Formats: sequence, C-alpha cells, structure tokens
Amino acid sequence: MLRYILKRTAYIIVLFLIISFLMYSLYNLIPSDPARSEVEPMRNMLKPAEYEALYKQTRLELGLDDPLPWRYARWMGFVPDRFGDFNGIVQGNFGYSNFFKKPVIDIIPEPMKFTVLINIFITIFALGITIPLGIKIAVKKDTTLDRSVQVFSVLGYSIPIHIIGLVFIFLFAVILRWFPVMGMKTPGSNFTGWAAVKDFIYHITLPVIVLVFASLGSMTRYVRSAMLDALSMDYVRTARAKGVREKVVIYSHAWRNALLPVITLIIGWFLGIFGGSTITESTFSLNGMGRLNIQSLTNKDYELALAIQLFYISIALVGRLLTDLSYGFVDPRVRITK
Amino acid sequence: MKKLVALLMAGLMLIGVIGVGAEPVGSGEIIYASTTEISGDWAHGAIWTNNATDNMIRGLINDYSTISFNQGGAMVNNASVTESVEGVVNEDGTKTFTIKVAQDLVFNDGSPITAKHFVAGPLLFSSPTLLGMGSKNQAYEYYVGGQAYRNNGQVLEIPEGTSDEDKTKLEEDFKAAVTASVAEGNAAFEGIRLIDDYTFSVTIVSKYIPYYYDLSYASFSPLSIAMWLGEGYDVKDDGEGAYIVGDMTAETLAPKIENARFLTEGRVTAGPYSLVSYDVGAKQAVLEINPNYKGNFEGQKPSIQKLIIVKAEKATQFDALETGAINLISGLTGGDEVNKALDLVAKGGFETVNYERNGYGKIQFASDFGPTQFKAVRHAVAHLLDRQEFATTFTGGYGALVHGPYGLAMWMYQESEEELNEKLNTYPYSVETATQLLVDAGFVLNAEGGEYTTGVRYKKVTEKEAGTYEHNVTLADGTVLMPAIIEWSSTTDNPVSELLVTMLANNPDLATAGMEIRQSVMDFDQLLLWMYRDKSQGEQYGVPKYGMFNLATNFTPVYDQSFSFTLKPEEIALGYNVNFIFDEQLDKLSMDMVYGVESTDPEGFRKIWVEFIDLWNELLPEIPLYSNVYYSIFADKLKGYTENPIWGFAPAIVYATVEE
Repeated sequence: MLRYILKRTAYIIVLFLIISFLMYSLYNLIPSDPARSEVEPMRNMLKPAEYEALYKQTRLELGLDDPLPWRYARWMGFVPDRFGDFNGIVQGNFGYSNFFKKPVIDIIPEPMKFTVLINIFITIFALGITIPLGIKIAVKKDTTLDRSVQVFSVLGYSIPIHIIGLVFIFLFAVILRWFPVMGMKTPGSNFTGWAAVKDFIYHITLPVIVLVFASLGSMTRYVRSAMLDALSMDYVRTARAKGVREKVVIYSHAWRNALLPVITLIIGWFLGIFGGSTITESTFSLNGMGRLNIQSLTNKDYELALAIQLFYISIALVGRLLTDLSYGFVDPRVRITK
Repeated sequence: MKKLVALLMAGLMLIGVIGVGAEPVGSGEIIYASTTEISGDWAHGAIWTNNATDNMIRGLINDYSTISFNQGGAMVNNASVTESVEGVVNEDGTKTFTIKVAQDLVFNDGSPITAKHFVAGPLLFSSPTLLGMGSKNQAYEYYVGGQAYRNNGQVLEIPEGTSDEDKTKLEEDFKAAVTASVAEGNAAFEGIRLIDDYTFSVTIVSKYIPYYYDLSYASFSPLSIAMWLGEGYDVKDDGEGAYIVGDMTAETLAPKIENARFLTEGRVTAGPYSLVSYDVGAKQAVLEINPNYKGNFEGQKPSIQKLIIVKAEKATQFDALETGAINLISGLTGGDEVNKALDLVAKGGFETVNYERNGYGKIQFASDFGPTQFKAVRHAVAHLLDRQEFATTFTGGYGALVHGPYGLAMWMYQESEEELNEKLNTYPYSVETATQLLVDAGFVLNAEGGEYTTGVRYKKVTEKEAGTYEHNVTLADGTVLMPAIIEWSSTTDNPVSELLVTMLANNPDLATAGMEIRQSVMDFDQLLLWMYRDKSQGEQYGVPKYGMFNLATNFTPVYDQSFSFTLKPEEIALGYNVNFIFDEQLDKLSMDMVYGVESTDPEGFRKIWVEFIDLWNELLPEIPLYSNVYYSIFADKLKGYTENPIWGFAPAIVYATVEE
C-alpha cells in the first residue's frame, strides 16, 4: 500500500511538472504584450520619452525579454530571478498579480476562506438532502413521489444556475425582501462576534439555497440509479426471502453496495470545497475563488490564473489518488495490495 | 437523518429571516456601487495601479493638490492649499514655479503639512529604488535634473560605435552602479527646491516650455513622510536641490512601501474623507469625513458623514438599488441600462443626472498603406455608414454624434460650436457620393485592369503606394492594381463590431460602391499588436495588415494631442501616431496647440484647436461613431448631486447632502 502511494505520488509530481509547463507555455503563447497592455492606459498622460522609459521598465519587471523555458524555470524557482534569488513556486512564491500588484499568495486566502466556508454549507445540505432522497425514491420507484422528484430534479438540472440565481433574487430579495440582493456583509457594518456571524449567514443564505437547489438534481438521480441497480441484485432478493427487515435490506445490503459509484462523486464534492462557483459568486457579488478565477482571466492576470488553476490541478491529482484509495475502504474486493 | 437535515435547513432559514431585521442604512450615509472591484492600493495617483474605483477613493482621501480642476475642467490654483503660485520664465528657457502653501494645513491625523510634504512625493516615487519597485511615476522627466535624480546622480556614458551587445552590458552595469550608489547616499533633485517651511519651487526643462497646461507641472500633493517612510526619514535641501534623508535601499524600503500602499486604518491623508476600513473579503471600503479638511479649491467641505464603496454586479445592480443595498450607480450607458434606471425613477424614490461622454467610439484607419491610405477611401467609408442611425441604435437613443476628436461638453467646443457647424463635414449617408469619391480617386478598374463594371473597384498604384498590401494584383506589364478591399480588425464580444457588420460591412451599398470590408475578430491585446505593428511578439505584426480598427477613446481635461500625429519614426515606433497619418500641418497644429501657446492665452489655444479639428475632420484618420450619454442614478435622499464628464463622484459628493 505504501509503495503504491509513493509510486502514485511520484507520478503526480511528474504529471504536475508536465501540466505546469504546458499551461505556462499556453498562457505565454497568447499573442499579447503584457507590458504594452499595462502601460497603454497611461499613454495619453505621457510624453513619448516617458512612455518609452515606462514601457522598457515594465518589460524588465515582467521579465518578458527572456526565452520561454527560462521564464518557466524562473517561475517554478529552478533558476534565479533578476535579483539573483531562487524565488518561484518551489520556494512558495506563486507569482505576482499584475492586476492587484501584489504577490498571488496575498490575494488567494480571503476568497479561498469564503469559498471553503460556503462550500461546507452547500456540501452538507446537498448530500444531506440528496442521499436520503435518492434512496427513498429508488425504494419507492414509479410512485407519485418518485415521479415528482424526477421532474423537479430534471428542472433543477436543466435550468442554468444563473437563471435560478436571478429568479431567487427576484423572489426572495426583491419581492419578499427576506435576503439581501448581493454582498457578503451589511455595507458599512462593523459587527463582531455573533453579530458578524449572523450578518454573514444572512448574506450567504440565498446563494447557498441557490447552489444547493441547483445541485440536487444530478446527485439525487445518481443515488437513485445506483440504488436501483443494487436493489435488483440477487443478494437483496435473498435477504428479503430470508425475512431480513426492509430497513436492514435497504441500508445494510443495498446502500453499502450502491456506495461504490456514489463515493467517486462524494469525494469529488468534498474536493470541490476549494473550487468556487463562478456564476453564483458573480451574481451575488461574493468574493470567492470562482469569481477570482474568471476575473484573473478577464483581466489577463495570467500569473494569478495559473496559480489558481495549478492549485486545482494539484487538488484533482491528489483527489484521484484519494478516490482510488477510498474504493478499497468501501469495497474490500478492490483493495490495493501493491 | 431526515430530522437533522430538516432542522439544519430550518435553522439556516430562521437565521436568514432574523437577519432581515438588521439595521437599515442610516442617514448621512451613501453606498456607492462600482462594477470595478477595489484592489486596495491607496498609493497616490496611479503610481502602481490604475483601477478606476481605487482612483476614485484616492481622490476622496487626497485633495490637497496645489492645482485643481474645476467643474468645467479648467486648471485653477487650489486656494485652500496655496497662498500663491508664481511662474517665471528663466533666461535659459526653463520655467520656475514658486509655490507658497498655506500654513494651517494638517493631515487627517492632525499633523502639520509643510512644503517638504509636497515635494516628498516626487522625490520618493521618482527615486531609483521606487522605480525599480514598480512605481510608474515618470514626472521627473519634466523637471531640471530629473534624469540625474532617477539615476541617483550616476551618469551613463556609451561611446559612439558601441555594439548593441556591449551597450546592453553597459546599461546593465550602470543599473547595478545606480543601485549600489543608493546605499552610499541619496542624490538631490536639482529642479525641486525647498525654499522655506512653506515655500518650494520647481523648474521645468526648457523643451517642455511654453506649454498651455504648464500649471500641471506645478501640481503637487502632500505625502505623509511619517506614514510612508517612518522614523529617521526627512526631506532637506542643502542648496543643490531637495533630497530624502534616510536609507533608501530596496531592502529597507520594500516592506515600508508595501505597508504604506495598502495601509487602511491609520492611513494619513489629506482629503475630504478618511479611509476608515477596508474589508478585503467583502471588498467594501468605508470612508468618513476628515474633520481636519480645510475645503476644496472653493473652500467646500463635505457633509455626508459616511461613504461606503461596494462592488456590484451589472446583472443585479438595479435590484440592489431598489432594495436599498446600494444608493448610487454611476456611469450607466446604453438603452437597456438607462431605461431600467428611468423605470426606477418613474416608480419613485430615485433621481438621475446625465452627461455627455468626453470621448467617442470610433473606426480608426491606418492611413499609410492599402486603400485606407487614400483620403477618398476614408471619406467613402464615412459616407457609406449612416452614423446618426448607428449612434441612435447603439446607444438606445442615449447618445450623440461628434465629427472630430472632441467631446460635446468641452469648453472649446461650446465656444466654437457655430464655427464648427459651418466648417465640419458631417459625411452624410450617400452611396452616390461614396462612389464618386472612389471614381475621382482612380478606383475605376477591374481586377484585369479593364474598365470597372461590377464587383470590387481597383486602382492603378505606384510602387510606393502599393507597398506590401496583400490584395494587390500585378498585371503582366508590371502594373500594380490595388482593390478597394479593407481588412478590418475587431474584438470579440463587441456590440459595436456587431452593429458595424450589419450597418457597414454587410451593407449592400458598400458593394454597390465597389468596396469590400473583411472582418477579423481577435482578442483586444492582439488588436493592439496589429495596431502598433509591434514586432516584439512576432514578425508578422510588423507588416501592415489591417487598415481599419474599431475602438473607443476618452479625453481628460488636459486636451493634449501633441505627438499623436508625429512624423518622427522613433516616436511612431513607440506607438505614437497610431493612425499612421503623416501630415505636417496636422502634426504642427497638434504641437502648437499646447507647446505654442502660453497658459494665459485660452483664446489662442481655442483658435488652433478649431484649426486642428477642421483639418482632422478633412483628413479623417478616424470616423467617430457615437458619443454616449452617461446616467447616474441615486436614491432621492441624496440632494445637490451633479456630475459631468470631468466632475465625477469624488469631487461631486463633497457638494451633496443627505436628507432622510
């Protein structure tokens, strides 16, 4: 098992290096001159000599005059920067945001904190609703309940989350005035302690409801499908024939066997805690990772975008390993021995 | 399990409902919504970042500039800050401004402001250390001794005939020498002098004098030396110029500057408002009245106690306004947004102000190659686009049309409106006129060199005119024919481009006239590369390809078009004269307008401006498409609030009040 983990970890490192190089190259292949883009808005305020000096200085600061492999190696921290220091990803420097004019490492914590927090709420509510509901409608297959849930889950699955967000805002924020339209705190408030917590929950309730609502469809249907497969198995029929209580048949026999395909999704959800919802965060003006990611792309803030995306790649690579390992815990038949 | 889930959901909902009872926005507050996110960099001006919302906040917390812009965009002495600003032209052609500042000025923390605080900014931000740390301050260029100061007194000498490789090496060694010299001491800035505690002077290099806007050279804002640099630092003048006392090495300064740029609580500034808090997570900034503020250039002090700046989203900003989550949205444009704003006003509880944009959306020609090098072709394109209809459609009826590089709110335009109405060609829609222009310009052939009957028109061109244009046809006898085909570069997801496709490129009258416009859609950065012919990102960009671009331009109160039509190759290589129009008179007028007129002669400036606009309109390096009308909507508790293109939220809110 340990050998397997070490082997997979080595693969992850190699894969990360390859992906990071490819992504860095792709971003640098985009036909643009970041120095030009940066100084361009100031052109009307500068005379040619000033503009030239500023342009040259910006190219130097951004290190644009070096060849691509050298820039990648410097960005990773394998070769020294213009000050002679090794200061890259390996050393914990995730780059410099050209938009915020700050190190990337100083920008990510706040949105990450928010995203993790809101996603914990969403994951708890979504799994708390979908798993029991999926089991229930699988057991009550073809009943009115099953059909109703199917219809609603298709609706939730099919309607774009942006539309759900706007409809909910109109209903709960504009008409009923139960929740605020946008933001993460009451403007100008200086709450502390429980008042701050209450204010925060007040602001994130509607986005959480929207995200939970939008995620119900797929997971419910997935659980239902896995349970239906399990319930049709011979061992379930045998258990029922032996007179085992229906609850035990469902939760001990069927659900445990249905868990294997569902576990992939559940782990994915937990890993998704770090990933923000671009659309919902933008709709509700929430400072989360999803919005930061899309903002970094629209601002052409490529070092920030790269850092965010490489973080997600790392999560995905580690997540894949965890998923594989978890199968062994759930189902002894697929336990990894080497 | 079911019970637990139900309980959790109910709990969350209950807490949400409890939150409904949260205190409403009180009186004396305005919540300003911006769709541009705050970055939290509060450094003076655009030294590091040029974010619009940051700039607006900087304007609210820093207003003790010696020179201000008034509501009409004219530069005036800030009477609250200065006792006198006197300019004298010296025998060597330089000009010295001597500025005496008021003796009762204090920062928001109550500490006194003296002359050295006004010169501390340029000394700090133009220092080699700060320039190496990303400061974009290039103003040292204007002042005597600026180049020497930015190099800490070091001089780079490159012997004639030095190879490029050796030159690069010398420059690198020089940079290292400059950095090393900072550790030994700080150079003085010859052109910036501290005369006494409340008086300083600045001397402008002769090549930038006379200059119509020369008062801008005398514009300085105070900077808290204590907050930016801390203890052990000071500004002195020993007779050779002002200089900073203290360790200016990057190792020492970097953490100080990083802290000062983003410092919120305890930030020492001098403006109508003080920054009270900035929530990085929620992206909200709170500002409160600075009780130590003396007033703006008219002595006006603010009366709204608290300003809260929040981030809003376009999709939900009107819902947020309606529910009171925000109180003011500025800069709305286009039919959809303006109509939504007017609907809210009709419902009650809101008011709007509107103003014409100081700029315009445009078609920009490359006027030195291909068919767009011919004035007749540029004129023909203008005649083949119904610009009035275009402006009305694009702006949803909330826009206007200009016929040159000006805004309708500019004082020069307003004083010259009748004259311009007589002089300027409005290029009315007319396929006949466009066709005749092409015929007169020699576009009378077909691709084989025969007489034109249908399709695209061709013109016999000289070798120089032909250039490397990709669509040229060379006949057997060596004659080169150029077709009336224009390659057009436009950006992705651009509604202006989409409307141009409909109203110009796909307009059947374009084909009737014998022209063709071929659109290429690309990223804006790539468009810039083609526009500037920037070979640094690929040799292909160095070869002229696109004769037409669609972009927009805005004007600042300093209407300075100098260098924009330069004929000098080295300035063109830097990206000046992006129209590639080489007309000596246009270049001369654009330079004379600001460098040939004293600042005391607005009438002289206006006359040259009219000549410039008239010639520009005739040469037509660009076709103005629309000039939006901007709307700002706000809760009607806000009274006395006005805006115009050069009088935005920061100066305007100082005059406004809140009545609950």
